[in-house]
Amino acid sequence: MLKKVIKYSLGIIVICFVAYNAVYIKKLNEVKVTENKLFDAKAYAHNYLYKKLPVALNNTIQIDKLLAHIRTNAANAFKTYSHGQNIGDVGYFLVGGQGQIVNIDDNDVLVKSDNGLVIKLAIQYIFGNAVRDAPGLISMNEFNNTMDMNNISGEINKIIKNEIVPPFIVKAKKGDKVAYKGCIELNQSALKLQNIEVIPVFLKIEN
Amino acid sequence: MKQVKVLLLMLAVLASCNSHSKKSDGNKKIAIIVSTLNNPWFVFLAETAAKKAKALGYDSKIFDSQNNTALEADHFENVISSEYNAILFNPTDATGSIANVTKAINADIPVFCMDREINSADGATSQILSDNYSGSIEIGKYFVEMLNKKGTYVELLGIVSDNNTWNRSKGFHSIVDNYKGLKMVAQQSADFDRNKALEVMESILQVHPDIDGVFCGNDAMAMGAYQALLSAGKADKVKVFGFDGAQDVIKSIKQGKIVATGMQFPKIIAETAATYADEYFKGKRDFPKKKPIAVELVNKENIDKYTGYGKKQ
Repeated sequence: MLKKVIKYSLGIIVICFVAYNAVYIKKLNEVKVTENKLFDAKAYAHNYLYKKLPVALNNTIQIDKLLAHIRTNAANAFKTYSHGQNIGDVGYFLVGGQGQIVNIDDNDVLVKSDNGLVIKLAIQYIFGNAVRDAPGLISMNEFNNTMDMNNISGEINKIIKNEIVPPFIVKAKKGDKVAYKGCIELNQSALKLQNIEVIPVFLKIEN
Repeated sequence: MKQVKVLLLMLAVLASCNSHSKKSDGNKKIAIIVSTLNNPWFVFLAETAAKKAKALGYDSKIFDSQNNTALEADHFENVISSEYNAILFNPTDATGSIANVTKAINADIPVFCMDREINSADGATSQILSDNYSGSIEIGKYFVEMLNKKGTYVELLGIVSDNNTWNRSKGFHSIVDNYKGLKMVAQQSADFDRNKALEVMESILQVHPDIDGVFCGNDAMAMGAYQALLSAGKADKVKVFGFDGAQDVIKSIKQGKIVATGMQFPKIIAETAATYADEYFKGKRDFPKKKPIAVELVNKENIDKYTGYGKKQ
């Protein structure tokens, strides 16, 4: 009888041990945290915005000149001035401009240039890959996976929102003259050239 | 007599070598290994790749991994031992599939990944991928607009070990999380599977019966979620968003059942992969390691431009 009890107990222990080690349960958020932990997207984005990008800002195209070029020959303008990682119709442009602030709200600063062009400087919802891709400085082949690249965009956008926009917004007021440099996204097959949104990377009040 | 036998044996060996080299010089063979054929999107991807391979003058065979990395490894073993000349590959696991790719590359068989990536920049000969992150950003913006910046929602994730799952989720959240009025009440994986999505959605609805939206990591799950909502009598109230551009979802957007999807272009992906294999056979070696294909938002406003799996010609 005692032998049977020992036998069955051992059997149950072995089965429990095998079953316990056969299945691993992880929370989804733990999987997210451990993924790509070797790549420091935040440090990469910081270095990109403050060291690499300032050099590229010397080669921006004036936004009104770009839009005129697009209106006359969109294909050529995209080929000449846009960058992007994709096979597709979306292009990202590095642009610059000047003008007068005509409105400020929670989401955007509206800037009107001398020739009447109005653009929106995004200050609240800063999304997407425009700043990462517009200068054409980053190649996808540098990264083991696309998630690393996408995390760079997220970090770049955070830095712009938290470090580049606030010092400008504190001082900016309606009527101020400003100079800006930033990035825009356009879709060649669905062009919308009104109220273009610029993600700013350089902002200066020039009163 | 013994010498004659040895001579005959040598001749037989030579003849066999000769026939072997003839086999190598004949029609090249392309293996198309896909994660699953239980999803129409992947069936279209595989069949398009086979069609393009045939048009380029090659024989091809489709292998179904049934979302099982062990089965996928068996396919690679078979493909290598059967002396295929190239592999067009849709991986089951971003990390787990690297070993299979490496094995093929070491056997001098080029591997061109389609749609799903492996976590290795230089593992495959080239990887042709959908730009899932950018596509999900577009869906996220539209989601915010359609829900009027407020409400509760559910997210159905794809296979947790697949990078597409997280690229889509992260792109979506990079937008939606900025709106405090939008609250995610449940996030669960349904493995990119329609039936599983139906079951998962049914369970979620028991706990959260008053949701306003569902974002699904692919169209098969969107159809499953829609079916669950329909059974619960909530299909008219809850807005469902998918990702893929599958035939049934394009039809459902037209009918107002599904709100939007992200159109991937499996035809472009598959044809590019087959064309790369052709160029490889002709001597080209400098392929882009990763080539993303843009994903476009499809909704009721632009549905007339699209058909299942692509744009109208």
